[in-house]
Amino acid sequence: MRTARIAFAIARKDLVSEWRSREMVPALAQFVVLALVIANFGFQIDAKSAPSIAPGVLWLALVFAGIVAFGRAFTSEREQNTLEAVMMTGAPPSAVFAGKAIGAAAVLIVCEAVLLPALTLFFGTPLSPGLVVAVVLATVGMSALGCVFAAMVAQMRARELLLPLLVIPLWIPFIVAGGQAVQVAMGANGTIDEALRLLLVLDILFVVLTSLAARFVLDD
Amino acid sequence: MTRKRLEIAAAGALALMLLAGGAIFLYAPTDALQGQVQRIFYLHVSAAIAAFACFAVVLGGGVAYLWKENLTADRLARAAALVGLVLTTVTLVMGMEWAKPVWGVYWTWDARLTSTLVLWIIYAGYLLVRRLATPGRQAARFAAVVGIFGFADVPVVYFSVQWWSTLHPGPVLVNDALPPEMLATFLFTMLCTLVLAAVMVAIRYRIEVLLDTQPMAQVVPSSAVTSQS
Repeated sequence: MRTARIAFAIARKDLVSEWRSREMVPALAQFVVLALVIANFGFQIDAKSAPSIAPGVLWLALVFAGIVAFGRAFTSEREQNTLEAVMMTGAPPSAVFAGKAIGAAAVLIVCEAVLLPALTLFFGTPLSPGLVVAVVLATVGMSALGCVFAAMVAQMRARELLLPLLVIPLWIPFIVAGGQAVQVAMGANGTIDEALRLLLVLDILFVVLTSLAARFVLDD
Repeated sequence: MTRKRLEIAAAGALALMLLAGGAIFLYAPTDALQGQVQRIFYLHVSAAIAAFACFAVVLGGGVAYLWKENLTADRLARAAALVGLVLTTVTLVMGMEWAKPVWGVYWTWDARLTSTLVLWIIYAGYLLVRRLATPGRQAARFAAVVGIFGFADVPVVYFSVQWWSTLHPGPVLVNDALPPEMLATFLFTMLCTLVLAAVMVAIRYRIEVLLDTQPMAQVVPSSAVTSQS
């Protein structure tokens, strides 16, 4: 109970500070739209090829937006040495970690609220409930993993360089399952349930593992 | 282990690998379909298994370090990660050498090839964390976390040929009946490669101990230090 309260307090703090500064969400929203523009130049996109290209574009945009979001999640804490202060309150590291992850995931979900309609508009992707559920489920697990490594690299040299190197390989299962879900949602063969179930299993696995790991990453 | 013992062990591992080479080229019969290229298989698979063993040591060392803050476990993990990365490189390069004549291309985005490449990237990242984190407790803790999460890819590589439809041949030992000479050659090569990997980990472990306990100048000859700077 106390853990959940602390986690939500920290998530709320991050979101309030984001709301006041309005730095990251507009920049990320612009970034994902820009990613679609780049994809337009990189691939030959027409009505026939769009369904096969759109899932890849979606996940590429999401992965890179995620890297930026999670990198930023700990930047301000580091710049003002506030993470130490938060840890000194005696809050359990797993609660602090969960709060940071929830905050970052919320920012990423806002970003997806721009990305998915933009994909519908530019690529003709149908905005089905299955697709939305798949993207949100993937966001949960990706945020848990992203925050562990973001917390880690925030305390190291060359952090911007290292975060994608460490996180992207571990995000691959989400991209595999999520990509499959998006392809099915866009009319490929197969059922979406299987992909969604896999995403859910991955979420549970990585949320548990990362909350166990939080202690070793934050409490230093 | 003392330096003398390590030298003897290294010479022994080298002799074993030469014997394995002899078995691969002189004893094992030529494959009816693939011809000489098939001989790559013996070391390719052995290196992959030895790499998995190394990464299991990284996992175990990481868990032991986080649990008990045991420095020996951390040094062992460091040594095994480096050796495992080298062995994964051997696996990838030999696999590509084999794929070119048999499949016609060096690389294809097959599930096993892709997951092995990801494995290489994960442990290269592990070594980068060791280099970029503050040496000591922080580097050991962070690397342990990376090593524990990174190990998740090892079963993916292993089971990839069963989970997805792939071009890569399945587990030969379980599925196909290898001719007895080929099986003997393979098992012998695997044993020799595991011994070699263990000796390399032991040597690297000793280097890690020296690097931890002595200033750089005493571990590396002074000429090497000056030429670097």
